[in-house]
Amino acid sequence: MSEPAAPPFAAVEELAAGEPVAVGSAGPAGIPGRATSERVQRFVAYTAMFAIALLFFVPFLWSLSTSLKPLPETANFSLLPHTWTIAGYRAALLDYNFERYMANSAILAATVTFTSVLLAALGGYAFARLRFPGRDVLFFLVLGTLMIPDQLRLVPIYRMLTIFPVTHWNLVDTYQGYWAIRMVSATALFLMRQYFLTIPRDLEEAAKLDGAGYFKTFRRVMLPLAGPALAAVAILEFQGTWNDFFWANLLLQSPQHWTAQVGLAQFTFTYRTQWNDLMAGTMVALAPVVIVYLFFQRYFVAGVASAGVKG
Amino acid sequence: MAIAVPKRRLFGRTKRPGAAREALVGYGFVFVPMAVFLLFFIYPMGYAVYISRFDWGILGPLNSLGWKNYSSLWHDTLFRRSIKNTLEYTVWVVPAQMALGLLLAVVVNQKIRARTFFRGAFYFPSLASSAAIAAIAIYLLNVDGLFNKVFGLHKIWFYDTKTALPTIAGLNAWTTSGTMMLFYLASLQAIPTDVYEAAAIDGAGPWRTFWKITFPLLKPGHFFVAVVSIIGAMKIFDQVYIISRGTGGPDYATYTVVLDIFNTAIKDAQLGLAAAMGVVLFVVIFALTILQWAFFGRQEAA
Amino acid sequence: MKGLPAFLLASLVGIVLIAGAQARVAGPERATTAKKTTVTLTGWASSAAETAALRTTIAGFERSHPKYTVNYAPINGDYPAAMLAKFAARRPPDVFYVDSNVAPDWMSQGVLAPLDKLIKQHHFNTKPFFPRLLSAFKYKGQIYGFPKDWSPLAMETNNAMLAKAGVKPPKTWAQLRSVAQKLKDSDAVPGGAPLCIDPDWARMLAFVYQNKGSFLNAKKTAPTVKSAAVRGAINYYYGFQQAGLSGTHDKLGVGWCGEALGKEKAAIIFEGNWVVGYMSDTFPGVKYTISPLPKGKVNGNLGFTVSYSIGQNTKNKQAAWTLLSYLVGKQGMHLWTQQGIALPSRSDVKVPSGRSAFLKQAGYAHPWQFAPRFSKVIDTANNELQSFFAGKESLDDMLNKIDSAARDALG
Repeated sequence: MSEPAAPPFAAVEELAAGEPVAVGSAGPAGIPGRATSERVQRFVAYTAMFAIALLFFVPFLWSLSTSLKPLPETANFSLLPHTWTIAGYRAALLDYNFERYMANSAILAATVTFTSVLLAALGGYAFARLRFPGRDVLFFLVLGTLMIPDQLRLVPIYRMLTIFPVTHWNLVDTYQGYWAIRMVSATALFLMRQYFLTIPRDLEEAAKLDGAGYFKTFRRVMLPLAGPALAAVAILEFQGTWNDFFWANLLLQSPQHWTAQVGLAQFTFTYRTQWNDLMAGTMVALAPVVIVYLFFQRYFVAGVASAGVKG
Repeated sequence: MAIAVPKRRLFGRTKRPGAAREALVGYGFVFVPMAVFLLFFIYPMGYAVYISRFDWGILGPLNSLGWKNYSSLWHDTLFRRSIKNTLEYTVWVVPAQMALGLLLAVVVNQKIRARTFFRGAFYFPSLASSAAIAAIAIYLLNVDGLFNKVFGLHKIWFYDTKTALPTIAGLNAWTTSGTMMLFYLASLQAIPTDVYEAAAIDGAGPWRTFWKITFPLLKPGHFFVAVVSIIGAMKIFDQVYIISRGTGGPDYATYTVVLDIFNTAIKDAQLGLAAAMGVVLFVVIFALTILQWAFFGRQEAA
Repeated sequence: MKGLPAFLLASLVGIVLIAGAQARVAGPERATTAKKTTVTLTGWASSAAETAALRTTIAGFERSHPKYTVNYAPINGDYPAAMLAKFAARRPPDVFYVDSNVAPDWMSQGVLAPLDKLIKQHHFNTKPFFPRLLSAFKYKGQIYGFPKDWSPLAMETNNAMLAKAGVKPPKTWAQLRSVAQKLKDSDAVPGGAPLCIDPDWARMLAFVYQNKGSFLNAKKTAPTVKSAAVRGAINYYYGFQQAGLSGTHDKLGVGWCGEALGKEKAAIIFEGNWVVGYMSDTFPGVKYTISPLPKGKVNGNLGFTVSYSIGQNTKNKQAAWTLLSYLVGKQGMHLWTQQGIALPSRSDVKVPSGRSAFLKQAGYAHPWQFAPRFSKVIDTANNELQSFFAGKESLDDMLNKIDSAARDALG
């Protein structure tokens, strides 16, 4: 099936810059008399999808409406507030240092996402395509790290960060310490590896024929094709860091270092959860994650076509 | 480029030209991640294995126990119950997550109208933090809450021993389906279009195309989703802790392994015993992962 | 190496160097400038009002001790986990909260500093403290903390509902039972139950004490849950549910019994001082009365209390003591409790209005604490109690299981 390939870089760059292409079958088309039943099918399908989408959404509509209620009213279960008020938002944003918390979350999430994407791509490519002794053992080690619960790592990591080996830095309550332990995640590396495994080899081999070294191949061939996976990693890591509570609570204790989640925890007490403030804060904290998600999800376009098709 | 690749040995020398350079590059690429993992995961795990043979509080003396921690775990009904609960939970959650995630991914991968809207809606539950989700769920699944009202039921979802764990499983399946959708979406996008074109030319309908072509091609994706799902399910803690207020109730229904580790380490300050529990959990998850590795086939990368 | 990896390596090295420089500049946890000594204070916050009251108290301290500043950094969320890490790293805060429930563990592990020397050195008077509360923080004859406040359980009754049934707040067990019956007969609690009673040892134990029973013996060497006194108390407590006179919080559709009072799903509940602020914030319209717990064979109650303590590895214990002695001293405690969010643990500090019913019970409150390594036993006890309440096991089975779990933990 493969015909002599066009110069790979040009083709790939063209493709990567191109329009979103729908992948997946469209079904038999152009048969007369099918038009109406297809229309009905599609209407049913869309309705079902919309119903599911609504199901996924409704709980958050409740959060939104709770954030607009005064505290005494949060006790009843009505969907719409009786008295509309932004007192919750005012309290969350003004009485508490919420912009600071959001800024902290943003700094940490951005740095962690950046290094994660970079290191996971590099590492994933190596595990998928390069050969080096002990590769599979190391990969299983990486998988193994996923199986360790955070609670077990609590004490050793905290102790390590108070006096970091060799350099004796005190990294507790610093951005650097937090970033260091989350610099790259095994999940991201795993994801990139699996993704790179599915990319057909012809492109790399063509690049090799052209005399490209490993980095050039990686940078010019694999990376542009990895759009969807990189986007997935970016979304995952951003959101994972943004929503993380355990390590932020442990490692970022001074109020000026608090992240959004730690700040939100101020509204949750054993008996007196201030629902309206909590939901208002949650809505505000949710916004950046939504924005990042919507931004990155447009990279979910088919990035790979066989080298033989174009050119 | 046809080069006969000799049979690989793990630490033997491959007889290909440029193998040394490739190996060096490989190590270079994985160096930083491996360093991070070594420092912050492998070392703590080794520390845990070491500590598990001792009786150790926070600052108190280290009393050697040999393997007594492990033997006491064997007889510990609470721990055994936690393992049973966790496995049961995993069996509920993982297939649900994977199926739902795959379904959603296939749906939003199509050329449909308002694709961005649907992608956003389906992923929304995954965006929120576990604390927020738990709070929302407690509220909506209250005896007089929205869920019961809509379906005309009167069940106490989270606090009835029969429904507590499945409800949490359902909640998490709903929450993580978005993430699984994301993973599957990335995998789906890696499938070259000419595969579908060939199938269409051969006259295959959408259902057959999916099962005979798409599904098998997703094997690396399946492996990833399955492993990540199972590991995540076995480590379940946040929602259980918030919903049961740390008790693992009602009547031990939601007592999971990580909750036991948490209580033992942090409330009881029995770090040695907690480390032993962690090692046991690790071994169980590791065994499950090896099973999947064998089942989904080793991914030959070269 | 060329291109990207070189760039990466360079940037990583750069970041690491900057990190190092910053970390070194940040220095040790506490800075002592030429002018002021900084003392770190940690705890958790139970409400916005509490945080405000604490800040008022801290301001009072800084005014009267101009050479000191307080660095107050509360831990939101998981207090025990964060403190465990700090203890293990030997970097505890100077002054911090210790819940009476974890005090046995922390005292026996040696993470708290014994205060007797400092007490003697500064001639600190320990007599005004309620002895039962102070005893919660004593270990092997030494004092490891001073209670900063406390709360017992009390009985809160809905005025309108009791009026409708024509009854007054009960004073004895027998009266409680008959009041509950009258509430049910007169349908004073539509859609709910006369009492909100949960299978929770943190409530039921008060009734056990009132029946002359206890969970552990006085020396805390053996459990005493199988005694007739305990059985009697549990049967009385459970009897309400059996007779349809009470409901658990989840059956009533609320998160806890305080909410049941607020939503008027129960007429009588047993909660502590924390319910007062909750009711005024969330359910300001509901009128209720606070009375002492109805008396059993004897008076008995639980005391939930938290202490201020100093860490064993705290570097500047003198400075820490200055802050601690102020906070639990007469002046500091007055500032802390004047708004009514907490009850003073000293007899020489005036109680805010409306809280006398709580304070009357100081003489017979038993601190809510057990022995070291007991938290899982209490979890077991509560789970078994839930099972018993659900009718899944007999009283004997439950008590046997709790007894053996306790014996295992006590060693």
